[in-house]
Amino acid sequence: MSDHTATIESQFWRQISRTFVNWSLFRQIMSFVLFLVLWSAIVVAVDYFQQIPTPKAVFMALFETPFKVVLVNMLKSFIRVLAGFFLGILIGFPIGVAIGYSKVAKGLIFPAFEMVRPIPPIAWIPATVLFFVHIESQIIFLTFYGAFFPVVYNTMGGISEVDIRLPRAAMSFGLNKRQMLWKVILPAAMPQIFTGMKLAMGITWILVVAAEMMANKGGMGYYVWYNHTVMDYPHVVLGMGIIGLCGAICSIGIAWVGNYFTRWQRIF
Amino acid sequence: MESKPDGKRQGRILIDHVEKVYDPEGVNVHACRDCNADIQPGEFAMVVGPSGCGKTTLLNAIAGFDNATGGAIYLDEEKIAAPDIVQSPGADRMVVFQGGALFPWKTVMGNITYGPVMQGKMRVNEAVKEARELMDRLGLSQEIERLYPDNLSSGMKRQVEIIRALINDPKVLLLDEPFRALDNISKGLMHEYLLSVFELTQKTIFFITHDLDEAVFLADRIFVMTTRPGTFKAVIEVDIPRPRDFRVLATERFVEIREHVKAEVEEESMKAFEAGERELA
Repeated sequence: MSDHTATIESQFWRQISRTFVNWSLFRQIMSFVLFLVLWSAIVVAVDYFQQIPTPKAVFMALFETPFKVVLVNMLKSFIRVLAGFFLGILIGFPIGVAIGYSKVAKGLIFPAFEMVRPIPPIAWIPATVLFFVHIESQIIFLTFYGAFFPVVYNTMGGISEVDIRLPRAAMSFGLNKRQMLWKVILPAAMPQIFTGMKLAMGITWILVVAAEMMANKGGMGYYVWYNHTVMDYPHVVLGMGIIGLCGAICSIGIAWVGNYFTRWQRIF
Repeated sequence: MESKPDGKRQGRILIDHVEKVYDPEGVNVHACRDCNADIQPGEFAMVVGPSGCGKTTLLNAIAGFDNATGGAIYLDEEKIAAPDIVQSPGADRMVVFQGGALFPWKTVMGNITYGPVMQGKMRVNEAVKEARELMDRLGLSQEIERLYPDNLSSGMKRQVEIIRALINDPKVLLLDEPFRALDNISKGLMHEYLLSVFELTQKTIFFITHDLDEAVFLADRIFVMTTRPGTFKAVIEVDIPRPRDFRVLATERFVEIREHVKAEVEEESMKAFEAGERELA
């Protein structure tokens, strides 16, 4: 009998706690708190790591920086990333469509691409001097290059993997070959095309940071590198955080556009 | 939907000594050879046969996706497949595909009105009106018209696909194992649904299946194909009166016909099995 009473009592408290506390949200907040505590603890407790700035030092660095400097550097990186990204789509997308749609184009273009593609884009940094005189153009070329292959390959893959029954059905409805591309093939390939764009966005951020570290022309990569040279590590970590934030904003942006264009995919 | 003014019903499929040879890298594969059939206007024709016997090859030739390498196929007076013509699909022959081929980026209404709008036969609002009438007449709830296909059950997808085909007022409906992936209960419902559509529209239906119960339940005549190279070895009349419903399945006549079909198909399946045939794409 007392067992039974205990059960009722524990149910009562469980109900109370569920009513007043959102445990799922609590756990998510705790994840951040634990991360910061662990970080601070390691810096404080382990002598070997005492050069690492604590979360508090990084936070305080936020107030020491002239806001304008960070903003200008952010803007520079953003412009370079977006310029490269859109150039990558502008040039990569039609090439991806051509390779995916035509055997002739694929035969002519694809093997050469396969030879160049395994070279990590960062390895191109020194060679860009040969293509462009202006450093700004070099950086944008690199971000473009990083976006190019993911866009080409995913557009091509999306198109060549379209279920053959869809164009067949469309043929029965009287579509001609040109309509087929715009009205059937591209919509069907859209999810994978956006997968390519998301990948491209991530890679352009990697490249812009690497290029800016080399270039001495501003941008968030330069900001981090400069603070490294003056050994101001709280600002290095702060800069890293801002780069992460910028990358996340871009990813969310592209995901949002992608979800709009493939909203038919969501099951609700 | 109605028969033509001269009173002559449309939708006769005449398959005349059709041959189809696939020739990948010089290896001749005979998918069909000397294939003959005469499917009457308004007939429900079921095609059964072992895997890889060329049923789908034949359907693709009728649909215009692929040509015949010998003989000819006629739809009424028109030659639709033969070595001396360039085949092309048309709205007079509508295919309901195995696994379904609704456009996932179009709503149910967008899918149904796709054909008439694309061909410029109807304006969008006319097509929508026609689609609603058809959905109403063939028992599909209009509430789903704004949904995307991914949000429908498999059975409902097939219903939408059948209506998407019928709105084009085709002479024949070509179905390639349309209910294969469905569970048995949905399948049973879809059979009765298709029968009611058939009785309402009186379209010629060319239906490929592996399911012998399905074949006997639906068909006017069952065309049994041989193993590759495919040809029709037997035509079995199903004299069970229409309209039919699920109670037919328990009748003696049904079982009798099914046994007959089974014996014919099994013989071919054994041959195919022994020859180690693989299914052709």
